[in-house]
Amino acid sequence: MSDKNFIEQDVLKKLRHYLPAQATLKDFVHHNSLHSFQNKEFFDGIFSASKIFGFHVTFNVYNYRKLHKQGRIKKNILDRTIINSKGAHNLDSYLDKMLHKEYDHKYNPRVGQLRKHWKSRYKIDLDNLVQPILFRILASFLDQGIALWHFPFEEKGLLGAIKILEENSFSSFFNSKRTKELLHSEDLSIEKLLEILVGDSKYFENYLFDQQYGHKGWSGLMSVIEENPDTIFYKKNVQFKDLIILELLLEIDSLDKVLGKSWDPLAKGLSIKPVDYLSEVKHGELQEILQLWQEAFEWDYYDDVLAGVGFLAKTRKKESPKNVSFQAMFCVDDRECSYRRHLESIDNKCVTLGAPGFYGAAIYFKPFGGKFYDKNCPVAVTPTHIIKEVEIQQVRKHEIYHHNKTHSLLQGALSSFSIGLLAGLKMTIDLARPKMQADISNAFAHMDVNGKLLIENKGNNEIENGLPVGYQVHEMVDVVESLLVGIGLTDDFADIVYVVAHGSSSANNPHHGAHDCGACSGRPGAVNARVFSYMANHSTVRERLIERGVIIPEKTQFIGAMHDTASDDIAFYDEDILYKENLKAHKINVQNFESALDINAKERARRFASINIKKDLKKIRNEIKKRSVSYFEPRPELGHGTNALCHIGSREKIKGLFLDRRAFLQSYNWEKDPEGEVLAQVLGPLPGVCGGINLEYYFSRMDMEKMGAGTKLPHNVTGLIGVTNSSDGDIRTGLPLQMIENHDPVRLLMMIEHKPEVILKIIKASKSIYDWFDKGWIHLISISPEDNNLYLFEKGEFKLYVPENEVLKSDDINVIIEEGVEMKTNHILDATLENIPTIVYPN
Amino acid sequence: MSYLLYALLLSPLFALVVGFGLSNENEKGIFYVSFLSAIVNYGVLLIVSFLWFKGGFEPIFIQGPVLFHTGHADFAISFLIDGYSLSYLFTATFLTAIIIVFSKNYIHREKGYKRFFNNIKFFYLGLVLVLMSGNLETLFLGWEILGVTSFFLIGFYRDRYLPVKNALKVVSLYRVADISILLGIWLSHHYFGYSINFNDIEGIYSEHHHLLSDDIYFYLIPGLFLLAAMVKSAQFPFSSWLPRAMEGPTTSSSIFYGSLSAHIGVFLLIRIAPLWEGNYWFHFIIGGVGLMTVIVSSSIAKVQSSIKTQIAYSSLAQIGLMFIEVSFGLYGLAILHFVGNAMLRTHQLLISPSILSYKIHDQFFNFKKPQKQGYKTFYEKLKLTVYVLSIKEFNLDTFMYNYLWNPLKKMGKLIDRLSFRTTMTTFGTVFLIGLYGVYFKDLVPDLIKHYVSEMFALFSLILILKAFVNRESAIIAWSYLIISQLLLSLCFGYNEVFDFSQVHIFLSGILVSGIVGLLILNNLKNKGQTLDLNDFHGLVHDYPKHAFIFVIACLGISGFPITPTFIGEDLMLGHVHENQFILLAFLTVNLILDGLVVYRIYARLFLGLHKSDLHDFAYRSS
Repeated sequence: MSDKNFIEQDVLKKLRHYLPAQATLKDFVHHNSLHSFQNKEFFDGIFSASKIFGFHVTFNVYNYRKLHKQGRIKKNILDRTIINSKGAHNLDSYLDKMLHKEYDHKYNPRVGQLRKHWKSRYKIDLDNLVQPILFRILASFLDQGIALWHFPFEEKGLLGAIKILEENSFSSFFNSKRTKELLHSEDLSIEKLLEILVGDSKYFENYLFDQQYGHKGWSGLMSVIEENPDTIFYKKNVQFKDLIILELLLEIDSLDKVLGKSWDPLAKGLSIKPVDYLSEVKHGELQEILQLWQEAFEWDYYDDVLAGVGFLAKTRKKESPKNVSFQAMFCVDDRECSYRRHLESIDNKCVTLGAPGFYGAAIYFKPFGGKFYDKNCPVAVTPTHIIKEVEIQQVRKHEIYHHNKTHSLLQGALSSFSIGLLAGLKMTIDLARPKMQADISNAFAHMDVNGKLLIENKGNNEIENGLPVGYQVHEMVDVVESLLVGIGLTDDFADIVYVVAHGSSSANNPHHGAHDCGACSGRPGAVNARVFSYMANHSTVRERLIERGVIIPEKTQFIGAMHDTASDDIAFYDEDILYKENLKAHKINVQNFESALDINAKERARRFASINIKKDLKKIRNEIKKRSVSYFEPRPELGHGTNALCHIGSREKIKGLFLDRRAFLQSYNWEKDPEGEVLAQVLGPLPGVCGGINLEYYFSRMDMEKMGAGTKLPHNVTGLIGVTNSSDGDIRTGLPLQMIENHDPVRLLMMIEHKPEVILKIIKASKSIYDWFDKGWIHLISISPEDNNLYLFEKGEFKLYVPENEVLKSDDINVIIEEGVEMKTNHILDATLENIPTIVYPN
Repeated sequence: MSYLLYALLLSPLFALVVGFGLSNENEKGIFYVSFLSAIVNYGVLLIVSFLWFKGGFEPIFIQGPVLFHTGHADFAISFLIDGYSLSYLFTATFLTAIIIVFSKNYIHREKGYKRFFNNIKFFYLGLVLVLMSGNLETLFLGWEILGVTSFFLIGFYRDRYLPVKNALKVVSLYRVADISILLGIWLSHHYFGYSINFNDIEGIYSEHHHLLSDDIYFYLIPGLFLLAAMVKSAQFPFSSWLPRAMEGPTTSSSIFYGSLSAHIGVFLLIRIAPLWEGNYWFHFIIGGVGLMTVIVSSSIAKVQSSIKTQIAYSSLAQIGLMFIEVSFGLYGLAILHFVGNAMLRTHQLLISPSILSYKIHDQFFNFKKPQKQGYKTFYEKLKLTVYVLSIKEFNLDTFMYNYLWNPLKKMGKLIDRLSFRTTMTTFGTVFLIGLYGVYFKDLVPDLIKHYVSEMFALFSLILILKAFVNRESAIIAWSYLIISQLLLSLCFGYNEVFDFSQVHIFLSGILVSGIVGLLILNNLKNKGQTLDLNDFHGLVHDYPKHAFIFVIACLGISGFPITPTFIGEDLMLGHVHENQFILLAFLTVNLILDGLVVYRIYARLFLGLHKSDLHDFAYRSS
């Protein structure tokens, strides 16, 4: 350590790096919960996080053993895992350790070790004294519009506002005179307060880690808002530092109040040495064993998948489809995987393709009458344009029961005697006949289905907030070309190409953003689908595209659509542009889209206890729709639960492989891209989007309470920015239990259809992409089109991978789906049984 | 008719018993049984109200069995049905049915699915008992059930810290309400010389009715009931528990703390109205309490930034208004107000999670920055003062701690010096000598005879205080508790010449529960568990059966109506004379603490975070 033990800036930077990075719930975006450890190799990273912060990052040994006994981790895979990493001669000794040895599961994280001495020394529970009032102040300060009376002077920042309040009110947040003087002192700083509280600067950093990690939700949120002020509508002057100072002041105040003057700084006479919490973690035998178990758990599943993929790679010949009825682009999203499968089975002449659901349009969307913008592209992408809605037909409805005047005294009384007495009726109807209402988040209300968009910037160069409103023709050409070339759709266009976005409707669900399109920053993607269709239909754009080798026939038309993944509804946009003959075909296609949704609903329904899937298809579909508008349904859909795979290649090659809605599917044609230049573009956003989703699910599942948000049933919406438990609780980050209970926590297995050497060249070109694979946060497989073998990326090179397991086959996949069992409880042992293995079926 | 009323109790009771027998995975079975009982009750209520209607709206009174009979007071069960109770019963049954249906899918796959529904049914049973009660004893029976189930509903997520902490906080306060009802019953026994039935309560203060003439009873009796009503309805200054009770699943919070439980004080005041109506001052006191609550709660409601606490405080402000309505004698209005407010807040809480997307969407189009606030003028400064006070909830949350529990803790710490061994040998001997003396009263010198009851009450109090502050071992605290209750029985024994069977009734429950509790604790210790009370241990995960039996023992020892001790408590109090105020004070504190000690031991041992890293558990602040 240097002379100066505590440099405020550095410590704050470190703190913020390790705090959760989740923004407010309106901007819910999936990301790796342990992003701060992503610079390490996967297991080193997660076990370090576990040691430092006390997270569960794998199952415990006993659960793995039970999974093994149950057959979820097969013996041959277990043996192979051990042999691969420890050598054949160690097989028996490791087997013995993994299966029989007892390990000590003691909870003893580094963080929290220092600050707990307050309790042991002074028998004082500082958290109990400080946190309730601290959270109350923070929540009121950040509140976006729940309170009728807002926190005053918010533009002065948290501390600034409190200073004004303290000076001008006859009451105070503080008890002791000393604290009040400290608050107003000129040289108020973290260091000064720590000097009083802790005394020895060698301990300062640890003290702040203990303190801030004691309520990582609030601290993380303050830090995120400071960094990204747009995540709240009602702007406040948010500084993370203010929170620390306020908390330190409240701590001094509480100590003064309870102990009077008779307390010494914490470091005085302290027996423990200052250790660097973040220093390297040495992993023990238990971690070694857990790693082997987790790898076996993952590979037991992957191997099945790869057996199927390998089998199809060798047996299936690629045929270019003839007489294509239509082409439909879907988002890479794993939930569209089943929809595409059913669509293809109903209309075997259609072709489906996958691309990130923002369809190349990196935009801010401004709905008609909106005062803000919605970002509708991946988080990592900076929007380049603004798209405005210029005309609408829907009128927004209001929900009187949410009116905050019902919380004032007189209007509250009037409400009791009026809408209160009617509430009984309302509740009964809501239970008996759930239907869409104003306070239910409706994917189709994000943009008016019949509204008009301003997509083209016709030379007037309108600029708003520094961004052009609408695209110019040359920009459209780039967008369309890039997307079409990426997915390999540059010739053989069908008469109609559907661009299907997705969104999700759900009731009573603060986390609804997590169900919307991840590639649109957690929003419904209909805007992007319409924008892209408009561009691709544009005659000048098409003319220019010809120059670039993309020839779209004149009779081909692009139609935007959106699939609601919760209600299994679909809507089509701008149908009025269709030519007469196309319209005729379209009407038939719509029937097929609808029929596919019927079956899709049934496939989803197998995981929902409330629906009997032996019922009539239409009834099931209706039940599914009801779930999405039921206040009493905490699982309108299961989101990305079970996601595990990502396939980049041609759809033909994996058609007939049942993946149980677990795969992100990106279309890509390696034949047109021998050197991989297109691949580099296509691959670009995928690790962030798919890997982020996958890892968030992984960690929320592994530690439902500390990294996940716990069960959502007691959640209390706070400040319109997040959820807490209880009235005095911390903000809960991560995914709620109801979203992750069916998730098998395995890392993403990415399979790319191209030669190993080309893939290696491409991923090496970008350090950030390379690290995802090299450090093991995502697995990578090459499906080599040259020899149809599989190659696994390991330690910097691709090695031949030969699947162990037999390929499972079935004649009728729908029977298998129907017979799939439902989990008894959401314990992993039961939950994992709900997943159907990978099966090859004729198609 | 009486069969119908019994059916109202038996159907939830039956559903509860069946519910205990079903496995947690049998969600359909659990749901249907619960729903059926609510529907049956709804049907029965319709018939009852039809009969009531046919009988010309005359209150229906049913005298039930006498559980125990003494010279001047009976412990009997009786029911009274009138317009007020029918309105409340209908609302309660309707909302319970709604919540049961709502929860069917909502609670799906929760670890405590069965536990949740059982608690709902038990709570509803207690509520029905309170609402139908024809006398104070029956009301008290239901009242106690509400308290215990509240503890379990608030602490539903028993492996997180805050729910358990808040469950303890709420139930400690409830204990105060329980004891004040108990004392109210005791005083009215003495004052009127018999058990009050609500049907002949009208004009009860007229000359020939009462035995005592002191004016103080005119205040004290209704005062005690008012205190109970204030606590249970979270009126000023007890308001802060209400938002903190919203720890369980949204559904149970919405129906109980959003509505049914929180309004029960209003019902109590109406039910016992003849006890206070004649007293001019009480109209002012009740109105004043209501007004204070209205002012304080509506200010606090204004600054709440989380939806559930906002609803809690705004509902409270309305309940304050109902107190005011009651003080003006507008009972019908108050009941109508209750129905509207209960429905409104239940619905608001049920849809509270949807406020996030609704309001954000609304702001997206209509956001207007609120006006800036000034700080220059006196009025503005005053407003800021109210703002700061409201954020701090007028310090109400620390109020109880500072003014009630803390002084008791300090008292307990004063006598903390006595070691376990010394205490046990001293007080054990004292008990044996005392016991001998009870049976051979002639041997006791006259000089001390008059003070002997007080003496034993004091000894008992000392021990329970020691149990209250003990942190080193649950076994020690539990032992103190048993000895304390034994000494208490002596205190009664000396107080009056009476039937020993009554002491035996009191002791039977205590001894059995005490020994069962000790066995459980000992067994846990033998299994290598540390049983200190400094921290939560979360043992319920690994020892669910131990936890269940221990809960029963806890309830038994704290006089919950599952053992004879419950009746014993009531009977024994009957022997305390109305002028023995010191004795009474000792007893009151003792009974309150007794409940607190028991809940605390249970919570610390079985609830809260686990020690082992094998289960998922949340950070403490979550």
